[in-house]
Amino acid sequence: MLKTEINELLTHTGPGTPMGELFRRYWIPALHAEELPENDCPPVRVKILSERLIAFRDSEGKYGLIDEFCAHRGVSLWFGRVEERGIRCAYHGWKYDVTGQCLEVPSEPENSNFCSKVRLTAYPLVKVGDILWTYMGDREQQPGLPEFEFAQVPAEQTYTSKRWQESNWLQALEGGIDSSHVSWLHSGGLKSDPLFKGTKGNEYNLNDLRPFFEVAEADGGLFVGARRNAENGNYYWRITPYVMPSFTLVPPRGDHPVHGHFWVPIDDENTWVYTFDYHPTRSLTPEERQAMIEGHGVHSRNIPGTYRPMENKDVDYLIDREAQKRGETFSGVRGIAQQDASLQESMGPIVDRTKERLVSSDTGIIKARQKLRKAVEALRDEGVMPPGVDPAHHRVRSAAIVLPQEQSFIEACRDDLRARPGVAHTSV
Amino acid sequence: MTTPQRPILLNSCARAATAEEARFRIDRPIGGRAALVLALDDEAADVVDRVAEKPWRGARFFHAGDVPFSQLEAELADADVAIMIATADADGEVAAALARACAERGIMTAGLILGEQLEVAGAVSALRPYARNLMVTSDEDDVAEVLTALRA
Repeated sequence: MLKTEINELLTHTGPGTPMGELFRRYWIPALHAEELPENDCPPVRVKILSERLIAFRDSEGKYGLIDEFCAHRGVSLWFGRVEERGIRCAYHGWKYDVTGQCLEVPSEPENSNFCSKVRLTAYPLVKVGDILWTYMGDREQQPGLPEFEFAQVPAEQTYTSKRWQESNWLQALEGGIDSSHVSWLHSGGLKSDPLFKGTKGNEYNLNDLRPFFEVAEADGGLFVGARRNAENGNYYWRITPYVMPSFTLVPPRGDHPVHGHFWVPIDDENTWVYTFDYHPTRSLTPEERQAMIEGHGVHSRNIPGTYRPMENKDVDYLIDREAQKRGETFSGVRGIAQQDASLQESMGPIVDRTKERLVSSDTGIIKARQKLRKAVEALRDEGVMPPGVDPAHHRVRSAAIVLPQEQSFIEACRDDLRARPGVAHTSV
Repeated sequence: MTTPQRPILLNSCARAATAEEARFRIDRPIGGRAALVLALDDEAADVVDRVAEKPWRGARFFHAGDVPFSQLEAELADADVAIMIATADADGEVAAALARACAERGIMTAGLILGEQLEVAGAVSALRPYARNLMVTSDEDDVAEVLTALRA
């Protein structure tokens, strides 16, 4: 349960809001790199943290992310032409470069310097892995580039998809921290999904539906451990890292690739979900990559040419009651991603947390909210840099491991929870 | 898909969700949780005393060293969650006894261990078998935060 004012504090991310200011201290995903595939390709409209922007790639390959609307009369630059060193407004031909600087105002005399006085808001846009990242905060405070392992490994070892979720970012993120729903909502996928099935860990998952949870602090966020009974009195642990503000990793299964998410507010009622799979030590197989493209694992099956999932609100998520009855899917919705999204969207655009009834297995969510609130307040009131900004905080891993009862997962897995180039992840 | 396609109009109400409308959802009184909060050592007792000064719906606070176990058992009669608060010196035996009593009565157990991970490793091991939900935190505010979230 949260008070109304705290719920609003955490869920509103537009310019000038405290949580919006927090998000603007991080590099965050702005586009999938495939959206700007070549120099001078068509521009892309980007709404992020409630700001309307236009992304383009100029003739020299430089990425630009600038205000969507022309400084002249406010028309959208999405209709513009990307041409030599910039984008030209389709209305009267004003031209801007990737820094937002106006280069030409054709209606002015040839020797006029009027254009030098015109500049649009612009943010850096940098490709790291499959993602174009932006930093929308104070340039003086700009941190080092992201160092998440999924974006650091060679291209053949990683795959990223993107989908639109019609809910506030926080209820989507909370699904990534809450391990307790997996044994229920996703139980069908553990048996059949090509990116999950066939591991010993699944047996532990399905044999023990009442896991114990343990939450521990990390430099950049949290580690949430879920433990279940294994053989000989040992415990099977699944350890989920959360890096602030909105990055989570799912614990691995066998030698399957490791997956995770980055939730980015489009505005207060919509979210971009960047979902990735990577393997730290080997290339993804053609079969694995194809399964990801087809929306298996934690990826979505999108309407071609869009990032909107086929199983969306307009079509009741294509719910299949017969499959639900047969137990193939617990909720009747196909695919892990849309099983989550369908329920999170059903909570409403911004869930009213004054009305929820949390239980003690929600401790991870309670702690994550508290960390976010404290970070927002410390930044707003004292200018304190939030956890997760430092790229060193990005170098985490999830893990799945069997440990003796008396061992602490955080101590026993100290190395397993660190990204180590060339070293396989710890998995069962 | 084997389910016959139904008219899309059937989902119009779900599609029409708005943030404002959320105010009218679950429009019934929401009761609190009857929480028993037990400090397992002296340092934890100081924390629990400070937290107990805040207004709570029905949470009851105890020090393991100050009350006979039989009284704690009696207090469990109408509790639905038992929360153990500990620091490095946690009394594992009391935790075990309380957890057994809770298990017999179907009462959820949780533990908050206050301190740096390395310093409280012993307490974490002692409580792990008995608390279904365990949080290790250096932030004392988490005790009140968890109780508030649970409507204790």
